[in-house]
Amino acid sequence: MTDQPTSGRVVISEFGPRGKAWIGLLAALVVAGVVAWGYQLTTGLVVTGMRNVFSWGLYIMMFVLFVGLSAGGLIISSAPKFFHSDRYEGFARLGVLVSLGCITVAGLLILPDIGRPERLYQFFTTPDFRSPMVWDFGIVVLYGVLNTWYLWLLTRRDLAARGSRLAFGVEDTDGGRKRDRTLLFWTASLALPTAVALHSVTGWIFATQIGRGDWFSPLVAPVFIAKALVSGLGLLLVVSLLADRFTGFRVDREELASLGKILGIFLAFHVVYLLAAERLPHAWASHFEFWAITGTFLVGESAYFWLWTVLGGAVPLFMLAVPSLRKRPSVIFTAGLLAVFGTMFEGIRLVFTGYNVANIDLPPGISVGGEYGGITTDIWATTGSYTPTLVEVAITLGIVAIGALIVTLGLRYVPLQRTEGQPVHATDGGERGDR
Amino acid sequence: MTKYGLVIDQERCIGCHACAVTCKQENNVPMGQFWNRVLTEGGDHIDTPSGTFPDPGEASTLDMAYQPTACQHCENAPCVKVCPVNATYTRDDGIVEIDYDKCIGCRYCMAACPYNARVFNWDEPEQMPEEGTGDVPARPQGVVEKCTFCSHRVEEGLDPACVVNCPADARIFGDLDDETSTVTKYIDRYETDRLLEDRGTDPKTYYISGEMSPGRPQRSEKLESELDERPSASNSDDDADSGGDEGGYGDSGASHSLDGDPMPHVPAVKQGGDD
Repeated sequence: MTDQPTSGRVVISEFGPRGKAWIGLLAALVVAGVVAWGYQLTTGLVVTGMRNVFSWGLYIMMFVLFVGLSAGGLIISSAPKFFHSDRYEGFARLGVLVSLGCITVAGLLILPDIGRPERLYQFFTTPDFRSPMVWDFGIVVLYGVLNTWYLWLLTRRDLAARGSRLAFGVEDTDGGRKRDRTLLFWTASLALPTAVALHSVTGWIFATQIGRGDWFSPLVAPVFIAKALVSGLGLLLVVSLLADRFTGFRVDREELASLGKILGIFLAFHVVYLLAAERLPHAWASHFEFWAITGTFLVGESAYFWLWTVLGGAVPLFMLAVPSLRKRPSVIFTAGLLAVFGTMFEGIRLVFTGYNVANIDLPPGISVGGEYGGITTDIWATTGSYTPTLVEVAITLGIVAIGALIVTLGLRYVPLQRTEGQPVHATDGGERGDR
Repeated sequence: MTKYGLVIDQERCIGCHACAVTCKQENNVPMGQFWNRVLTEGGDHIDTPSGTFPDPGEASTLDMAYQPTACQHCENAPCVKVCPVNATYTRDDGIVEIDYDKCIGCRYCMAACPYNARVFNWDEPEQMPEEGTGDVPARPQGVVEKCTFCSHRVEEGLDPACVVNCPADARIFGDLDDETSTVTKYIDRYETDRLLEDRGTDPKTYYISGEMSPGRPQRSEKLESELDERPSASNSDDDADSGGDEGGYGDSGASHSLDGDPMPHVPAVKQGGDD
């Protein structure tokens, strides 16, 4: 902690024309998503690309991605606080805001996946505590609450100083700021294990399932932690650079370069080490010749694998490893974007490996359900296939837009920028939370 | 305790799909969906064998069998364990069932089931004829459904529809906890497999292969629909009208204690099984 109590300021003092256009776009996406969801509710999940063999799709894939994305900010801001350090302080508030946006998106993405959402109250009335989904439901809610509390705790004295109603009656006093620092330590020490639990439990939703191929692996939970670190930090760097470009938010270049290096380490751990650890035993056990083992180990089975490992792994890793490149904000921005992009395909690949092969694939196969078009309809499938429909894309985009709105409004109303005596920059309009 | 199970004799099965069709009729299974399907073990397509036709001087390697597949009613049922709201549950008699008023339609159970035994109502379920053919509770859009071992029949003392309507007597239903039941005897006597046994789900559906069993024991000269009066079942706790609820089977209520030739392995007082 610094000796001087840190104070903060809002980075968007007023929405300019660009800011208003950005909010208008997000609002339009939300409206389109709500309309699409209404259509899906009345017509049924038949309007999605999911069917009996491939029964989870885009909603769950994006749920997995956004749970991971919600990690970065909270960890970057709470880990130093836990060790009483003020490193990366400049990212702390924005980080928690981005986490809050992401976990909200993740939680909301469950709704359209549910066939009868009006019955969701039964999570409270008749839960089965054996179900990993019940664990996950609990931890997502807890994580969301914790994020909200944390963000408010970080900023409430500044909000009070600005006379904002969001301070909810808290006063800006020196004693109060000191007390808050103690509270922040305790919140951080609760937030870190909660974050670990969130990603592990989300991994265990898949890792407990003996009926779905590669899902049943003890490595899934550690991989979820690793990809949360990679994608969460990647997103935080991307959003902070966008905020730096489009709002009054200023990124500390030294902290940025340092976080870029950390992203490189996370990438190496996830895409190189954990992936190798997962693949080698399978490749070794199923082949005899040296080159056959090596080939199976190195060569992936689907396009998703390559999109993830090369575009989302090797390329950003290279960018962050070369000393002459890795300090440039544009390089860090691109690497962060690719890391998020790659992690998305890792989640997509995971769902595909569970569903594209049926354990019992004897002909004629499994009845896929969905619209019945008469006697000539082929209702059978021996493998799973899935392409998301426009309705699914519209609903997903609408929910992501809600997250982007949370971040945008946070930039406007919550003092996110740590002030160190520098003059308040004139803002040039809206921010772009690319999410 | 009662623990209902099913034995399917693959040596007797002729691949006629009567069990799949009667299941659809009995349970109003929606168009485009099957709770019970007859799979071909052999070639790449339905009703095709593996192997080759014999060339002159060579032996044929053609081989084909049928594997009727529905919910296996596992003891360690993953679907029951994953259901977040206790909509899928194991009954006291071992049948794995869904409470269709509770199911939220999250489809985690479909991810959990290694047998792909479950189907989801992606839209408003459709039957032909519109009002359906069976007398079972309707399932709405947005819930998961599957084989119930015809629990509505079992509660009336009847075997599941697929068992009764198998023309090859290849399906035998009964109490696995009863040492004298046909299912227990066949499992002891014949070589049986369970599907995906390595997954540890402990299914209550057994498949006989190798040696053919005598099949399902017949207990009456008449079909259920031909029974003109209710059997004088001393142990029956059904009231006089309950038989009328049996949709599509007319005056039924045939129970395990039909007079005539009670088989020695028929449980004397249990409901359901071996009827």
